[in-house]
Amino acid sequence: MLEKDILKEFQDVVGPEFIDDGDVMTNVYAYNWCTEFVNYMEGKEPIPFSPVPKAVILPSTTEEVQKIIKLCNKYKIKFKAQSTGLGPWNQPSTDNSIILDLRRMNKIVKIDEKNLYAVVESYVSGAQLQAEAMKYGLTVHMPGAGPMASPLASHTSMAGPGFTSPQTGHSARNVLGVEWVLPDGKIMRLGSLGQKNNPDWFIGDGPGPSLRGIMRGWVGAKSGIGVFTKVGIKLFPYPTDTKFVMTGHAPLYNFEKPDYIRAYVFDCKSWKGLEKIMLRVEEEEVGFIVSHISGLAVMAIFSYSIEGLMDKMALGVLKNPLLVVMGARTKREFDYKQMVMEDILTEYDLENIIDTKYVPEKVFYAECLRANLGYHGFIATGGFQSAKGQADAAALCLRAEKTNIPLKQKYIKKEAIANDFGEGAWMTSYEGGHFFHMESPTMFNQSDLKSVKGMANYMDESNKQDLIKHLGAPFFIEGDKLHDEWGPHMMNYHNWLRKIKAAFDPNGVADSGFYITAKKECENK
Amino acid sequence: MTTEHFPEQEYRRMIKMCLRCSVCKWIPQVQIKSQKYASCCPAMDIYDYHAYSGGGRIILALAYEMGRVKPSDDLLNIVYRCTECGNCAIACKYMNTLEPLEIIMKFREKLVKDGYGPMPQQKAYTEAMKKVNNPYNEPHEKRVDWLPSDIKVDPDAKLLYYVGCTSSYRRKEMAIAAARIMNAAGVPFNILKDDEFCCGSPVYRTGDVESFKVQLNKNLDVMESKGIETIIFSCAGCYDTFKVDYPLYREYNFEVLHTVEFFEQLIEEGKLKFTTEVPIMVTYHDPCHLGRTAERYEEWAGDELKLMPLVSINIPPKPKNIGAKGVYDAPRNILNKIPGLKLVEMERIMEYSYCCGAGAGVKSAFPDMAIRSSKNRIEEAEDSGANILVSACPFCSTNLQDGIKESGSKLKYYDISELILMALGLDPEKLIQATAGGA
Ligand SMILES: Cc1cc2nc3c(=O)[nH]c(=O)nc-3n(C[C@H](O)[C@H](O)[C@H](O)COP(=O)(O)OP(=O)(O)OC[C@H]3O[C@@H](n4cnc5c(N)ncnc54)[C@H](O)[C@@H]3O)c2cc1C
Ligand code: SF4
Ligand code: SF4
Repeated sequence: MLEKDILKEFQDVVGPEFIDDGDVMTNVYAYNWCTEFVNYMEGKEPIPFSPVPKAVILPSTTEEVQKIIKLCNKYKIKFKAQSTGLGPWNQPSTDNSIILDLRRMNKIVKIDEKNLYAVVESYVSGAQLQAEAMKYGLTVHMPGAGPMASPLASHTSMAGPGFTSPQTGHSARNVLGVEWVLPDGKIMRLGSLGQKNNPDWFIGDGPGPSLRGIMRGWVGAKSGIGVFTKVGIKLFPYPTDTKFVMTGHAPLYNFEKPDYIRAYVFDCKSWKGLEKIMLRVEEEEVGFIVSHISGLAVMAIFSYSIEGLMDKMALGVLKNPLLVVMGARTKREFDYKQMVMEDILTEYDLENIIDTKYVPEKVFYAECLRANLGYHGFIATGGFQSAKGQADAAALCLRAEKTNIPLKQKYIKKEAIANDFGEGAWMTSYEGGHFFHMESPTMFNQSDLKSVKGMANYMDESNKQDLIKHLGAPFFIEGDKLHDEWGPHMMNYHNWLRKIKAAFDPNGVADSGFYITAKKECENK
Repeated sequence: MTTEHFPEQEYRRMIKMCLRCSVCKWIPQVQIKSQKYASCCPAMDIYDYHAYSGGGRIILALAYEMGRVKPSDDLLNIVYRCTECGNCAIACKYMNTLEPLEIIMKFREKLVKDGYGPMPQQKAYTEAMKKVNNPYNEPHEKRVDWLPSDIKVDPDAKLLYYVGCTSSYRRKEMAIAAARIMNAAGVPFNILKDDEFCCGSPVYRTGDVESFKVQLNKNLDVMESKGIETIIFSCAGCYDTFKVDYPLYREYNFEVLHTVEFFEQLIEEGKLKFTTEVPIMVTYHDPCHLGRTAERYEEWAGDELKLMPLVSINIPPKPKNIGAKGVYDAPRNILNKIPGLKLVEMERIMEYSYCCGAGAGVKSAFPDMAIRSSKNRIEEAEDSGANILVSACPFCSTNLQDGIKESGSKLKYYDISELILMALGLDPEKLIQATAGGA
């Protein structure tokens, strides 16, 4: 709870109905999925609740955000911003905090269909923006988390790979102008938005060092460096005709498959083969989805229930599967892309099992187009989280995947995580195969203590393995403890990051549980 | 149903499993057609805080179970600001195996058992139901005041028209229209008159399961004593309660049909013939209780087979209610058969239809929430291009008409039975005025 006078000041900013410091509301915001194993990793009780924030506040404008942050500075209260709020990185690290739920900041400010970008606020979901972009024949990059996540959060603050990455890239690469409320309450406008004359959103950098790098780098500051209130993001041509007709009922909707869409799943039979073929498919730029997933994951993306998953055992035997989905706007384009794929299949002696051995439900194609495949990861146990997260060359990603298998098998034997033979992985390329992303989704049961502990230990070991075996940085290096562990191995980057943090957040009010503190900031806890 | 359909241990297991993914705030992701009509939860649309969503309510249930939150006005004010429309459950169950609506209902049941719920206005209508058999506190003897003298009722018929409290006292035009249609088709039917009591839905949905059981036994005793073979309902709420909820506590062996299902049959059989053009453009609102929540629970007595650590499957697969078996086609088939009538759809329809905003005690305890939700739906109906909004539930009718009034909309509202009367060549308004004596 906030002290009465302080509460009144916050109420004056947003109105009394948009701040709640009661026990009931604050407890709801203390919960998040996977918080139990984060707690365990931090030596706390493995419950799904973080420290309870003092209050939850729902601003509706940038000016309100600015005033809230100034009050946080005045009273030395930390703030944590959240968009749709999925995942433990939304949780406060201390009970001396308030949560800014940005739900009321939900405007699509503009869609510039000629210059291929949109400007959005925090609580526009990927599916919402895509639905509006589709009216112009366009689409948007969405993270694998799915279309319910916020493009603003993904682009400014957190990670960024998605199933359509071969076509739509990575969130970090798609950020244009940004409106950013700094931790001291000042407003920063990035790139062309900061111009004195005719400010606009079309580019995120200006002269001088890239502030986009400071703002998010590769993995994002997760609210540790201020609040982003609007962002310009790139739009891309929608892969097929945008006519989108669905009949029937959930989940097996009868989707009228566009004329020019086709899926391929084939077994590359060896790691070497997989690397070669994936690079080749990428080089040809024919697929808007090019993902290597495990045999079990192939079963999962075609399933809508655990029982349905088990029906598809025959797909699970694929050793090194590759999923390619291609779309086209014209017959000519489609014929060309199919021809290229036929050549690749012939050259490497591959067999496409789609429509020969397995016919997907029609809704599968809708899910490819609407970025909904990631959600299938919850099918088996209800919970999953990824280790790894490398962004590098295909060879390194595959090496990370291979070396992870025995480690995973160890925890499978302990019955802590679900049995995917240790192979569970998702690897995609960005931008025509110039670089790749690999993560190792792992299914566990968040309501089972043994599983939670096992998952936490596995994540920890996996991170350490990356360090020892020179596998690059995983994406969940966040918080002081891990940065302090990794910094010395990587040019002491953590010292530079701390300097940035100190310069941007002199009072240490932007909660840095999932970022980095300037060290002395810890004393405010 | 011999086994408890949602046992305590299932509840306790599931409240730990919410992913906090917010999928339950939206219609199924692949169905999103615009930014404006992407959301599915009336409570979230109005109150914004995560606690009001299906997932937020699950967290609250867990926090309550863990003793992290204590009963308080704050808690009740969130728990009861929900129409139990079940849209969150459809969205969640697209892929997940959680049961958000069951959890919401059971949480209310616990709060009542623990002596805290429901809200004062809901307690008042529960008392009224016990005293005068209807939640509106109207005299029981006036229950059949709606019945025009020229309507033929057959006391020996095995087909029963269960009118329900709202049509009996508040939306008499619906009761009259349904009765006239059956007369026009020459179908003998009975009504219970003094022996008809509230179905119990309003108390069930606020968590007072014990009062509900008394009510359902009272009703089933009457019906069974009369040897009823089929009951038809023009109220989606009563229909859902009889069809889905009664069998969870006591089996019965008569058939239940909503009027749209029954009238569709009569049209198919040629007993109802549309003779008159009704040249209007309408859009149809799927009532939650006729659509996604009107799926019967199927008893499952299979085995859970542990395939490997942490992964089990059900053999045979456990039936999952995901809205697919709601009554969606019948009303649309009827409308499409009315000569001259054009049906256009809203964006949120069928299993992901947006709620009118009135259900589960919201209209009485939180009238402002009911009206705001209704206005959202009215706007969507207007955006469909139709000038008439049609539905098949007296409770939706009241709230949507209130919304039309409040928002100053030019839309006109009809129950589907009134449009049938028009197509049969009977002007419903004139008929109702002439026969109901100022109903
Ligand atoms: C099952 C699952 C799969 C996932 N898969 C992927 C994936 O494939 N690729 C990927 O990139 N990510 C993935 N994620 C991670 C994450 O959910 C996504 O990055 C997503 O984009 C976050 O969007 P959101 O709306 O949920 O943001 P939130 O969860 O609300 O926020 C994410 C982070 O950003 C911060 N934040 C949010 N909004 C603001 C703001 N306006 N200003 C400052 N800070 C802010 C939050 O504090 C939080 O730390 C996955 C997560 C889950 C649970
Ligand atoms: S109830 Fe279901 S959809 Fe909603 S947050 Fe929880 S898991 Fe997600
Ligand atoms: S039942 Fe309806 S009103 Fe209640 S939380 Fe779910 S979607 Fe919202």
